[in-house]
Amino acid sequence: MTTTWLAPESLDEVLELRGEHGDATVIAGGTFVGILMNQGFLEPQALLSLGHVPGLDGIEVVEGELRLGAMATHRAVERSAAVREGWPVLARAFSLVASPRIRNQATVGGVLADADYASDPPAVLAALGAQVLLRSVHGERRVGIDELIRGHYETCIAADELLVEVRVPPGPERAVYRKFRSRSSEDRPCVAVAAVRGEDGLRVVVGAVSGRPQELPEVCANGGGPAAVGRGYAEAIEPISDSRGSAAYRRRVIAVEVRRALEELG
Amino acid sequence: MRLVGYAGDAAADGMWHAAFVRSPHAHARVLSVDASALPAGAVALLPEDTVGLGRYGCQLKDQDVLANPARFVGDIVAAVAAQTPAAARAAAAALRVSYAELPAVFDPLAAVAEGAPLLHPESGGSAGDAVSIGVRPLAGTNVCHRFRLLHGEAERGFEDADVTVEETFRTAGAQHAPMEPHATLAQWTADGRLELTTGTQTPFNLRDDLAGVFRIEPERVRVVAPPMGGSFGAKTFTRLEAVVACLARKAGRPVKAVLDRSEEFVTLGRHPAAVRVRVGATRDGTLVAKQLDCWADTGAYADCGPGVASKMGYAGIGPYRIPHVRVDALAVYTNLPPNGAFRGYGATQSVWASERAMDMLAERLGMSPLELRLRNLLRDGDRFATGETMHDVHFEECLRAAAAAVGYEQDPRGKGLCVLLKGMQTPSRAAIAVERTPVGYTIRSASCEMGQGVRDSLRLQGAALLGCEPGQIEVPDPDTDSSPFDTRTTSSRSTYMMGRALDEAVADLSANGGERGYGEIANEGGLDPDTGQGIASTHWHQGAAGAAVSVDEETGALTVERLHAAVYAGRVVDRAGAELQNEGSMIMGLGTALFESVEHAGGQITNANLSDYCLPALGDLPGELTHELIEREGAEPHGLGETALPPVPAAIGNALSSLGLHVTELPMTPERVAEAAA
Repeated sequence: MTTTWLAPESLDEVLELRGEHGDATVIAGGTFVGILMNQGFLEPQALLSLGHVPGLDGIEVVEGELRLGAMATHRAVERSAAVREGWPVLARAFSLVASPRIRNQATVGGVLADADYASDPPAVLAALGAQVLLRSVHGERRVGIDELIRGHYETCIAADELLVEVRVPPGPERAVYRKFRSRSSEDRPCVAVAAVRGEDGLRVVVGAVSGRPQELPEVCANGGGPAAVGRGYAEAIEPISDSRGSAAYRRRVIAVEVRRALEELG
Repeated sequence: MRLVGYAGDAAADGMWHAAFVRSPHAHARVLSVDASALPAGAVALLPEDTVGLGRYGCQLKDQDVLANPARFVGDIVAAVAAQTPAAARAAAAALRVSYAELPAVFDPLAAVAEGAPLLHPESGGSAGDAVSIGVRPLAGTNVCHRFRLLHGEAERGFEDADVTVEETFRTAGAQHAPMEPHATLAQWTADGRLELTTGTQTPFNLRDDLAGVFRIEPERVRVVAPPMGGSFGAKTFTRLEAVVACLARKAGRPVKAVLDRSEEFVTLGRHPAAVRVRVGATRDGTLVAKQLDCWADTGAYADCGPGVASKMGYAGIGPYRIPHVRVDALAVYTNLPPNGAFRGYGATQSVWASERAMDMLAERLGMSPLELRLRNLLRDGDRFATGETMHDVHFEECLRAAAAAVGYEQDPRGKGLCVLLKGMQTPSRAAIAVERTPVGYTIRSASCEMGQGVRDSLRLQGAALLGCEPGQIEVPDPDTDSSPFDTRTTSSRSTYMMGRALDEAVADLSANGGERGYGEIANEGGLDPDTGQGIASTHWHQGAAGAAVSVDEETGALTVERLHAAVYAGRVVDRAGAELQNEGSMIMGLGTALFESVEHAGGQITNANLSDYCLPALGDLPGELTHELIEREGAEPHGLGETALPPVPAAIGNALSSLGLHVTELPMTPERVAEAAA
């Protein structure tokens, strides 16, 4: 089977193609789609490349809100002065992904649209209350990370939509991201914990342990100190088993890492 | 800066590209291959094209050019050639193969159990398929080789023991993961010769194996071996060459194959193994008896699994004087991709087991693990369990150096040691030729460059002997048409064997007018596979490692704070190269110790990419990673390409053990450490 390569040169063109080729797989940095194709898990009829579309890789702050273009690379986010200044926890989370070679390639839009559970950015973006802009020829909508990621590799992005931008509200007073790896320093997380204390109180999101980032407001609301919140998360989450750890082991680590995140958060 | 041409860069006029049709089943008979949808301009190699061809395999001839039955997920059942790699892949996808599935087995212990599905019922039992003296397949089983070593009377020896410990240790499968994948270019000349340019450590073995496949004289096969972008054992013996050569013959033109990363994972790996150790000592810490049972999972084809199992068997005895020893080591077929040579060659798995058992024994004796080892180490003139007398012995220096580096005697908590011996290919032969040229000299040798620096080492040794600059010496690619014979570039033998052959060649050149010289060195020996008696190695690799670790008790996360290896080097030829070998070996050892593991489900490799299969990265290195080369005035150069790898896992495991954490399975993941604490 041959794969058609679609390489539009403007966002309008992309959206038209999205409308026409709902079965085309969008390719941004290619670090995820490339692996799936090489492994034979994905044989797309068509690939829709964003590589030649200008204006999708911006990083800017508008009225206190951070705007990350879908094609901004992990490395660009990690190194951006604006991100480091206003959202240091985000810069840190992106800096912990894989290796510089991967971070120079992998994109903000890609990591969210892939909805791969074993990624760093979704948990921290969810904890920060980020939203994404989904655009199609018919218009635009804005959804939270919680609504975006539905489960393993599944999002709410419609066949004709494109994730064009991520919007992050003003950085909270205190925020922590902890990445627990069970294998190499360049591995994906076994357990990821993002904890944020802001105007709305405490938010704790645990990533990489099941199909979507896990946030349990009722556990945070119950209070009871870091250890109790850690236990609450460990008990409520149904973790998956994979090569980074069994479900039982992940439960153990969730309790420890949530507690540590809250202790660090202060 | 020299421009290096790799096998992956090789090209020929009119060359086409290969793609392979691989079995999606772990064990299945191929009923038919339908090529009716093959696109125009592509050529397919089908089962009927291989009728009458010989089988291949370096130690057992158990492989066909196209597999039937397919014996692992990824086994090659057909191949195609087309003008571009993409066209070849598309053509391969157009072939329709129908299969009848057969029962499969994925664990070496299950594979030796009664009633297990047999992988090679027609040949596994026939010693007639054994091409190397001393391979012992067991008829009607999946055991393609059984190695036994009997020294003294083990059962009686255990009666003398005051303390005996027994434990089974496991090691996961691993991927070599060289940067350059396997690459092969094959073509047939007008007069019917087969010519290959291929990434290989074993040009002469390959030549002979292919001659057997095509039933032609070995001299009708030419193998040229350009430098490899890494190998670590992955490019030994016949890999893609037989099928690519056959495809080139069918296509009537040169054909080249370059694997992608996921294919690398089904081409060759390191043997997963289980090693059961029983070791006994008297109250004063004198070892009296040891018993080792090894199960090496060689996958669907023997490859050099018999040799790996044998070395696993005797390396697991350790560098100790033990009056009573019994070893029983099996190479076992399973429906997984084949496993073969891998830096550390069998020693990695059994040194892990036996040196962990030494610390268990020390604990039971209430003795320092260092003291227990020192009390029993082999010394110059001692006889090893094979019956051979040991010379140029430096185990104690290596062990003491490792212990000193981590401050073991001051405070052993959180620290661990390991000492090992590892054999070198015996018997073997190395020959080399030196010719005078207008600019200096040409050195012709079949020692293959894979990043270990053998060409630089030959240039440096040659320059010193010939009185010229290294830059005046040309070392062309190994070529079976023009390079003198060499057994192969394995087992850390080249600097030692080829280096001594070069001494002879230069002496010959000087004695005969200064134009040409030829030198040849052979080492004699070998072990009786039924008794393990004889000469295992004429040149023992000797080394030790010390580790200091800390553990996050809540998560089991293990941090290696300090790692030191000490390796006997004799006389160092290329210091920078030798140091890099030590560092590289230690870093590969860290991967094995901490996280490398080839995983599968139903025979399908589930982490066949470098995102899901972790390799050590800079961030994984210990705070302090140091090593030393133990040298001796007047000594010969000593091989050290892999000595520092096998001691790393046990040094780390013993450091955990000093904290009360008894881990028996590699890799030592945080989860396993946490379980050990429970």
